[in-house]
Amino acid sequence: MNYKLISGILGAFVVGLRNVFKRRMTLKYPEEHLEIESGYTYDAKTETGSPGFKGRHILYTDKCTGCSLCAIACENIADCIDMVKVEGSWPTNPKNIMPQIDYGRCVFCGFCVDACPFDCLFMTPEYELSATDKRKLVHTPFQLAVFPEKKGNVKLIPDDRGAYHD
Amino acid sequence: MPNSVMNVVDQGGDRLVLHVGPQHPGSGHFRIIVTVDGDYIVDAKPDPGYVHRGAEKMAEYRDYIQNIPHLERPVIIDASGVTLPYVLAAEKIIGVEPPVRAEYIRMIMAELNRIISHLYWLAIYGIFLGHSTMFMWPMGDRELFIDLAESIGGTRVTFSYIVPGGVRNDIPINFKERALKTFDYFEKRIKEYEKIFFNNPLMAARTEGIGVLKKDDAIRLGITGSNLRASGVDSDTRKDEPYCMYKKVDFDIPTRQEGDSYARCVVRLRELQQSMNIIKQVFDLIEPGPVKQVLGGVMRGEPGEAFVRTEAARGTMFYHIVSDGDKIPYRVKISVPSFRNLIGMSHLLIGSRLADMPAIYWSLDYWPVEADR
Amino acid sequence: MIETFEEFVKRILALLFWFILLSPLIIFPILFLLVPIFGIDVTTVNEILTASIDPIKALKLVEELGLGPSSTFFKVVAFPGFTFAALVATITILYERKLIAKTQLRVGPLYAGRFEGFLQPIADLFKLLGKELIVPEKADKAFFWAAPILSLALGASLLAVIPLSPTIYIARSDFSLLIPFAIIGFSPLVVLIAAWASSNKFAFIGGLRALHQLAAYEIPMLISILGVVVLTGSFDLMEIVEAQKNMWFIIPQFLGAIIFYITILSELERVPFDLPEAETEIVSGWLTEYTGMHFGLLQLGVYIKFYVLALLFTLLFLGGWNGPAFLPPVVWLLTKLFFVISLIIFPRAVLPRLRLDQLIRIGWAWLIALSFINLFIAVIESSLGVI
Repeated sequence: MNYKLISGILGAFVVGLRNVFKRRMTLKYPEEHLEIESGYTYDAKTETGSPGFKGRHILYTDKCTGCSLCAIACENIADCIDMVKVEGSWPTNPKNIMPQIDYGRCVFCGFCVDACPFDCLFMTPEYELSATDKRKLVHTPFQLAVFPEKKGNVKLIPDDRGAYHD
Repeated sequence: MPNSVMNVVDQGGDRLVLHVGPQHPGSGHFRIIVTVDGDYIVDAKPDPGYVHRGAEKMAEYRDYIQNIPHLERPVIIDASGVTLPYVLAAEKIIGVEPPVRAEYIRMIMAELNRIISHLYWLAIYGIFLGHSTMFMWPMGDRELFIDLAESIGGTRVTFSYIVPGGVRNDIPINFKERALKTFDYFEKRIKEYEKIFFNNPLMAARTEGIGVLKKDDAIRLGITGSNLRASGVDSDTRKDEPYCMYKKVDFDIPTRQEGDSYARCVVRLRELQQSMNIIKQVFDLIEPGPVKQVLGGVMRGEPGEAFVRTEAARGTMFYHIVSDGDKIPYRVKISVPSFRNLIGMSHLLIGSRLADMPAIYWSLDYWPVEADR
Repeated sequence: MIETFEEFVKRILALLFWFILLSPLIIFPILFLLVPIFGIDVTTVNEILTASIDPIKALKLVEELGLGPSSTFFKVVAFPGFTFAALVATITILYERKLIAKTQLRVGPLYAGRFEGFLQPIADLFKLLGKELIVPEKADKAFFWAAPILSLALGASLLAVIPLSPTIYIARSDFSLLIPFAIIGFSPLVVLIAAWASSNKFAFIGGLRALHQLAAYEIPMLISILGVVVLTGSFDLMEIVEAQKNMWFIIPQFLGAIIFYITILSELERVPFDLPEAETEIVSGWLTEYTGMHFGLLQLGVYIKFYVLALLFTLLFLGGWNGPAFLPPVVWLLTKLFFVISLIIFPRAVLPRLRLDQLIRIGWAWLIALSFINLFIAVIESSLGVI
């Protein structure tokens, strides 16, 4: 019965007891959502991106020219971008093709965003992309053109009272 | 101890052959064939290869940039730490130098990943020893660091952040304040971890003197990483062959002399503190500037070879790329620390008790997916 | 299919409505028909019907039948007997989950019940009732069904002689300290029956390991409380608590209290001694094959044993119901009981698990020696007249 044994066990008890009175860390999803500031964007001229969350893509259909560089960039990574024919007349898009993304295969690496030379494919902070039907995971260009609603309302704050979501 | 499905085979006499199989909750996808005499293990044959998918061969069909999401998947927990040597080797082949600010940011990401990987390791070690609080606390605190990494890289695990030429985007504006606040909080938490786990006499009873790896054995068997440093060998690739501005920062390499599982635990804990120390120094040294060398066009390599060795979270990682002038590499050879430590596992398990197997096996920080690639 | 909670509530209310509507229409004619057949007096039937509506008359009727609050039946079944123990056991289960969660900085059960999941035990009860009772084909049927009932019987029979206050007790006996420990000595038998009847090799090995553990800690448990007996001079729990009027026995018998506490942790198979429940080759130890209400009854038996052991600790070492007079004695007892229950739950949050050989070595070598030293100290104190 040496001192180290008793002080070790008592120390463990004291630390445990101290943590009973701290604030709990759990994020009560789906009532609370983490706040995400912005999505990942990339500037084709300076060839650097700006930091942001890599979620669902957003396609600016008025700037897309149908060059297919995003599809070529993704071809050996996840092979999830297909160029499909779109209806209507698009002044910047003579071939009338735009990317459609299959989120069943996308790995959210963002290299398609890096590849776009016309600044029209970015990523948004939306991450709730699950569907009950596998075909619904394929987002058409017009589904990609819709900006998601902002849902976040809590942040994770490390504090003296424990790290908590507020 | 975790559950497992066992096929018991009688081997005549007192010995039983047990397959601690791939469906092992917590041990990952990996089989050990253990021969047991009573309660003592007489033979242990690790059987890796369950998740082998030919990553090195698949790398020969992908561009230098398209390889980055592909090659960070094997060690998904330490994503930036394992793409860093690949990118350094690719840069040697393509013939491009990253700007100085990019090298500092790469160091930040690599050290953040080291912290994230070690916290995961600590959490699983706690649950292997039956200490459920030591599972929840590191996993919770890991969320803070994943948040920091997400604010730079964009995703929570596989960032694909380091590219040949620099990094993909700059760090956000308020990153330094958030990081310093997190580090202050985490330093206090490390003191609590010490009191509840590392100074806990019951944990010491389970890990002290268990799985002792002596210094000459460690050097002879080729063990790398924290396991080597816990046996008394003062070796770290960041100090022996510095890459990426590691010469400009000042940090210690924690070593212990005993070489048992307890020493390995403590070495990893001290490495966490040293990583935070490195990041704080980088904040003082970093200057504004470009983060990526603008290349323009497809990256084509010169014919030749390149080797790079870095210190990933688990040990020394080594990449060898051979190129024949095309835009895809001709051969990529990856040498992972987990596969090197596998021989240490079978050496340590022989002669120990069956009940101590999780304590020894996980203290070597073996990641099956990395070993199988 | 019932899809939403509102539909579920609607269906329950509909059932209740029809029951309330139809039952008088069916029961009243039957009752009044029994009058000529069996010659029951109409006033008796009227009394029963008014008692079902008027609570005061119902109470009087129940007392006349001999089931009132001061009858033995009430004491055995409701308070301080089986229902009270089962209630404390279920509250303990919820309290354990919330306390461990709070230490680990997370929420425990949260959604059952509006506030912090306080209806979680009811949800658990319904879940267990709804599961299929699977009996393995090669199992020994008689013993398989007997084991949960034995566990519950063991837990319930411990409640017979333990008093909760000078006036609240079921039965009084001169040996009321020995009887619970004699019955607890049967728990290895329950484990053996459950493990053997499962006809599962690995559950059997787990059961044997649990037996080793329980056997190793029997002797320290019994000897560590003998110090209290020496200081008091009697085996009667009432007198032991009376003797603690001036000083709780935890102060002269500190070592005995610590040893008793450690053996409680081992008897209940809690961390750091929960190896039988968390082994490599054993999914859940000796209770692997039990599902549904079998499992529920086994766990209820274990948690009632938990309540009884915590109660014994309070009575023996913490002064039982002694306390300042502005609150009734039973309230003091329940407060101290709450504290002891928290103390037994807490090591699960802060200590890792011990290996089997370390566990057994502590029981046979260290604790027996220390408990004899404690007995020696008690004899010295008693001869010096410390009490």
